[in-house]
Amino acid sequence: MAQSPGRISLAPARGTLSVFEIALLVLCLVLVVAPIPQNLQDIIVLTFLWAGLATAWNIAGGYTGLISFGHAAFFGIGAYTSTILLVRMNVTPWVGIWCGGLLAAFCGAILAVICVRLRGPFFILSTLAAAEVIRIAALNWSSLTGGPEGLAISPAADPVNMVFASKHAYLALMLGYLLLSYALTKLIDGSRYGYYLFAARDDEDAASAAGVNPLAVRTVALMLSAALTGIGGSLFAQYFLYLDPTFVISPEVSFQFALLPAVGGLGTAIGPVLGSFLITPMSELLRSYLGSKVAGLHLAIYSALLIVVVLYFPSGIAGALSGLSRRKGGKS
Amino acid sequence: MTELVQVENLGRAFDALWAVNGVSFSVERGELLGLIGPNGAGKSTLYNLLAGALAPTRGEIVFDGQRVTGWKPYHMARVGMARTFQIPKPYRRLSVVENVMLASFQRHRSVRSARVFAEEILADVGLSDHVTAPVTTLTVGLLKRLEVARALALEPKLVLFDEIMAGLTPTEVAAMTGFVSTLPARGITVIWVEHVLHAIMKTATRVMVLDRGQLIANDAPKAVARDAAVIKAYFGEEISLA
Repeated sequence: MAQSPGRISLAPARGTLSVFEIALLVLCLVLVVAPIPQNLQDIIVLTFLWAGLATAWNIAGGYTGLISFGHAAFFGIGAYTSTILLVRMNVTPWVGIWCGGLLAAFCGAILAVICVRLRGPFFILSTLAAAEVIRIAALNWSSLTGGPEGLAISPAADPVNMVFASKHAYLALMLGYLLLSYALTKLIDGSRYGYYLFAARDDEDAASAAGVNPLAVRTVALMLSAALTGIGGSLFAQYFLYLDPTFVISPEVSFQFALLPAVGGLGTAIGPVLGSFLITPMSELLRSYLGSKVAGLHLAIYSALLIVVVLYFPSGIAGALSGLSRRKGGKS
Repeated sequence: MTELVQVENLGRAFDALWAVNGVSFSVERGELLGLIGPNGAGKSTLYNLLAGALAPTRGEIVFDGQRVTGWKPYHMARVGMARTFQIPKPYRRLSVVENVMLASFQRHRSVRSARVFAEEILADVGLSDHVTAPVTTLTVGLLKRLEVARALALEPKLVLFDEIMAGLTPTEVAAMTGFVSTLPARGITVIWVEHVLHAIMKTATRVMVLDRGQLIANDAPKAVARDAAVIKAYFGEEISLA
């Protein structure tokens, strides 16, 4: 069957798994159990987590066209919810992460009511502003959030508190999160509801004329994306065992959410995963090898690489790969 | 009850300008109703009012026995009113068949059956060769057919066609005219705005003429063609052919 552009031929049809995806999954499972040096395991943990987060962002940004520069807010809400529940009320994070996801979804609904009518740059700016509101609230509501000093989770290994001594456990946890995000995306990708998202993204008037309520569709997409992002935020807090408002709710964090899917390929299931697998290790390695030698050099190289990707692969790595396989194999 | 549409004193003002003013008419089931008028007469506004894309400033619309004044476009689509857009509005990152599936989902909830039905509709409008093609590869003529396919995929009771002939070759016009004239027999009532007048005059059971927001004629095609007010609206006050 012929492929249309913007569709990655690594994934043969919507809602099915390709050989490439299965191979990637096997590689991930090997990375979880393999005896790798700890500093590399750290990088892989972050790569899995960011792949899951970027996948969550992509449901709103890539599939529905809701380019959000405010996802750090949902991330922070998730992180703070589970951490506050654990530190202040001794609620296990195994429950807390879902509470974080729910609260993030609720905030996503509020954001949707306010912003979902806005298009393009207006939507982007309003999400950026909304995240700043959340960050400033977290900074000032010290009795709950600890303010600028932040909150720390006891580092004593205890599975009930979702704190582990072994990196393998964190690797498994983050891979589980990535798989949850990815499975939901694939479910959407092959479903009627997924098509509603594409319709609301590509042409609001045409979607309406086809019986689709674009505002309702966007609201649900934003809530789902926010919920997954909130869960990821909780896991992030459980890994670092520390959070403060600037660490988790900064605009830089929000940009990272948008950057990884943009590099990997917007609106494709595999795109954000590829984006994180390329960018996260690269930025971590550049920082650890160059950060201490010449201040700022790692950021300069990182930025230069990003510019190359954006200039030469406008549809992301996924788009470039699918273009390559089309040229080689013709119709797949 | 045979009347599918009843419009009563419908009006829409943009600031001080009434784009549609005091329009009343009804449409019987199975009619093929032509709607013509000079540029700026208010045809597009009238369509947008019927399809719910614009809320009327005054007046009432009854569709299929239900008062639908002020309903949203997606509500209208769900109760059986389909429309095409004068300037095609495809989902540009989807394939041809996926564009049609989005409409066929209204009656076919599973992806598989929506696709089967969408492919049938594409065959009806002569797009069988382009099922999996990206919409970005379609010519203007094919995009117009895609608009028609998307409207029909809703399995509507009423379809509003908006200049589906513009940019088509004479052969394509003939084929499309033939196709549209078969729709009433399939249970689809048609209102048809077109600048290709001979197509309308040949196939319509009745023609309404809109001029400066008001209905100036509403009769059989032949009678409308002889109507003095219509001739004046189209050609102006006096024509002297020396």
